Amino acid sequence: MSTAEIAVPAPLARARSVGALGTLARRRFQLTARTPRELFVPLLTPIMFALVIAPALKTALHTDASYESFVAVGTIGLLIPLNTMFLGLGVIVDRVSGAQRELLTAPIARGLLVLGNLLVAVAITALQVGVLIAVALARGIHFHATAGGVLWFAGAALLFTVGMYGLAEILANRVPRQEEYIARVPAIAILPWFLAGALFPITALPGFLTWVAKFLPLTHGLALMRYGLRGDGSGLHAIWGMSDPNAMAALSLAVVGGFALLLTVASIRVFSRSAVR
Amino acid sequence: MNAIEASKLSKTYPGDIEAVKAIDLEVEVGEVFGLLGPNGAGKSTTVGMLTTTIAPTAGSARLAGFDVATEPIAARRVSSVVFQEAVVDRSLTGRRNLEIHASLWSVEAREAQARIDELSAVLGLTDLIDRAAGSYSGGERRRLEIARALVSHPRVLFLDEPTVGLDPRIRAELLEVIAGLRNRAEMTVLLTTHYLDEAERLCDRVAIIHAGRIVALDTPASLLAQLGRQLVELRIDGNAGGALASLRRHGIAGRDAFAVGSRLTVPLHDTSPGDAIAAIHQLGLTGAISAREPTLDDVYLQLTGDSLAAAA
Repeated sequence: MSTAEIAVPAPLARARSVGALGTLARRRFQLTARTPRELFVPLLTPIMFALVIAPALKTALHTDASYESFVAVGTIGLLIPLNTMFLGLGVIVDRVSGAQRELLTAPIARGLLVLGNLLVAVAITALQVGVLIAVALARGIHFHATAGGVLWFAGAALLFTVGMYGLAEILANRVPRQEEYIARVPAIAILPWFLAGALFPITALPGFLTWVAKFLPLTHGLALMRYGLRGDGSGLHAIWGMSDPNAMAALSLAVVGGFALLLTVASIRVFSRSAVR
Repeated sequence: MNAIEASKLSKTYPGDIEAVKAIDLEVEVGEVFGLLGPNGAGKSTTVGMLTTTIAPTAGSARLAGFDVATEPIAARRVSSVVFQEAVVDRSLTGRRNLEIHASLWSVEAREAQARIDELSAVLGLTDLIDRAAGSYSGGERRRLEIARALVSHPRVLFLDEPTVGLDPRIRAELLEVIAGLRNRAEMTVLLTTHYLDEAERLCDRVAIIHAGRIVALDTPASLLAQLGRQLVELRIDGNAGGALASLRRHGIAGRDAFAVGSRLTVPLHDTSPGDAIAAIHQLGLTGAISAREPTLDDVYLQLTGDSLAAAA
């Protein structure tokens, strides 16, 4: 047998990559489905915010009804980072006691392992965001979404999820143990949430923190999601100060898209490097 | 074309730790080749480089003609690995673990199911295959991993210390399984072990690796023949080095005699054990003396001055 005999034509190689990606995603989903904490724990806190804290704040502070939908979208900004970080734990489990070493000897590009995990992270996050919105609607919280608005919302949520999962993969491949990983989750998943306008507009922050908030991808993601679901461009205006909401939305989408692209590329690079000694 | 070729293959880890030092290997198609040495000798690092999970720092290696550095995916396509530790998805069934391997190695689904059923039967997994792999015993899991490696019909199979940590009964069972792999004529097996009996029993040729270097490479029979048909072993009360020098001066021991701790080993080429023991007694050396056939352990001790069992 010579090298030429086993040389794989490009279309076949692409088909094999797609097939391998499907296999890896299915495997990851099966592993996740057997770990209910990965599915349900991230959902608990945001639902508590949307259903308990937001109404309580409205009652205590006499805010209007739209504040509930404001906070409901804000809680998505907590749900996505928490969920993606929890899913990142699976990478450590795979490495320490799972089949990662076997997968590293598979005849596939190693980046596919990261992308397979990412597909499942996106699917599970979409499910959880859907549940959150459904619960909010059932609770009587009103959104004012148009078809175009839903696209802005979906684009922002998707790209932010992709970026956050990239961050989770990077962290999971950089720290040796689950305990160390968990210790870093609050700083990554929760701290930015307080600064990104989840519970109040970023203009309510002290001046220098408003500037810090403008650089957070979550701030852009939340502003976009609110623009999409509530038709509220005030968050975008607080960042960009422009008059055309669609232009501001496009700019924020570019920021979140850049965040997603950068961290996905970085996560594949970090994984590939850490996988080969 | 050889199934495995390595030329000046080297690995130096950060901190100038030379794990593998310019080893050369040529393993023929269908051969069962043993890489023998204690923990830390460089066996797993060598397998890691051949399976593309460790990047060589110098030299080159090929699997079935594919360069592991420049054609890693092609090299991985023709090979499978059974790892030293358990490397399975514990919450998935044994069958699912095998299906994932088959799919990633592009085995068509129907063919994969047929092979899974066949291998399950051959390896005694039929009753377990639809149970979660986490519920398997150590020996069952190792058999599952061997079945998984065979699903893709590899040209080169790496078995990295496959019997480490298993109790004697399961180890014996597994050795039977591995011995059965010899019947797969097109498949080359590279087995790493620090158990000499495994190497003697299973391998066509063995390389003894010590401190990152191959210090001997031949068939087990040829390696043993270097020490003659018999040897005398003495447990010396006193200075073993001095006793060895005395034996050499009196022509009882040759250059291939060696001392490890208080034990002297004297290969016999032209002398009978009885004559050698009588000559030793005449020198006034005291201690336990016995004669026996040489083993690979003796070969290893002679080459490295180290006890394989103690180092393992």
